[in-house]
Amino acid sequence: MVGALALIIGIVAGLILRPTVPTWLEPYLPIAVVAALDAVFGGVRARLDGVFDAKVFVVSFVSNVLVAALIVYLGDKLGVGSQLSTAVVVVLGIRIFGNAAAIRRRLFRA
Amino acid sequence: MADPPTRRPYSTQQLVDLVLDPRDRGYEEAAQRKASSGGVAGRAWYEQPMVALGCVIIGFILAAAWVHTHRGAPEAAKVHDSLVQRVRTAEGTTQGLADQEAKLNNELSRLQSAALPDSSTLVRDLNRSQLIAGEVAATGPGLEVRLSEPAPTAEPTNVPGHGERTPSNGGHILIDRDVRSVVNELWADGAEAVAVNGIRLTPTSAIRFAGDAVLVDFSPIASPYVIDAIGQADHLDVAFASSDVASRYQTLASARGIGFSFGTQSKLELPAGAVTVPQYATATKGH
Repeated sequence: MVGALALIIGIVAGLILRPTVPTWLEPYLPIAVVAALDAVFGGVRARLDGVFDAKVFVVSFVSNVLVAALIVYLGDKLGVGSQLSTAVVVVLGIRIFGNAAAIRRRLFRA
Repeated sequence: MADPPTRRPYSTQQLVDLVLDPRDRGYEEAAQRKASSGGVAGRAWYEQPMVALGCVIIGFILAAAWVHTHRGAPEAAKVHDSLVQRVRTAEGTTQGLADQEAKLNNELSRLQSAALPDSSTLVRDLNRSQLIAGEVAATGPGLEVRLSEPAPTAEPTNVPGHGERTPSNGGHILIDRDVRSVVNELWADGAEAVAVNGIRLTPTSAIRFAGDAVLVDFSPIASPYVIDAIGQADHLDVAFASSDVASRYQTLASARGIGFSFGTQSKLELPAGAVTVPQYATATKGH
């Protein structure tokens, strides 16, 4: 519950503040978005499974963002930034789909 | 896919886990740790704020991405509007300058006729030269040729996801070459003065193509292209009708649906052309 409330507060804050994304941060925005979605779905699934853990949630989110950003940063320097960015989005996208499927199975038993 | 009895190498195991079971092992391990360390222990004080902070950050990132993605659209529209505005302003300026030029030209010819004695050979020579150079408005019988793009047809596209597919060449069949070939044919058939869409052609006129527009002396014109030629109307009509150019556009009219027609006119009025004063060329003496 706290999480859902905080999520809404964060979205409202973002909509009110309308932050400008600096240019150097732009390539990392899609990664941050899929990592954030991944953390949300992973957290919801863990909660439904009854194994939710605050530390795991926060640490996995932060580390996922950092590792993905690092991969893309290295890729940018080596000239394969967009490809690695795609790879990160695909990997995290698969996780999101899997977690969403698990949530669906648990909620609707289908 | 059944679980293999032997453990795979760690890297491939990760890939298989990723696809088949995207659950984060961290949650299960943490649950096991909790269970082994004496059942459900009291939650640490920092857990709730930590989750809250994480969720605020996640929500903020999502909202920021949304805002960032949707900020660009009005910007593009603004840029487009300002460009349109600048083009309109430039067009207005061009029109104003053209009007001013026409006025000055009228004044010039009035002063010339006042200064020069009537019916002298000088006046006749001047008038003839000006007419040939397209410096003065001309009127007379002649031929009018019309070329127009085919009417846009709403062809259904069979490529899903690619609605509004325009034909190649941006929907334009007629280009500068077509207008030019008609004009050249009319000159060759004995036209004495030619105008395209109301723009008089002078000896230095150019018919060009830029982007999707035909330019006559740098003024963009659009379909339908109306080419007026003053000359002996019957001769122009017969000569043009029997020319290769005419038969080419007849063919194109039936094959691609362009509009092509021509006919004699008893009275055509052509405006004066934009005069460029020679800056480097001077007449040779003693001729």
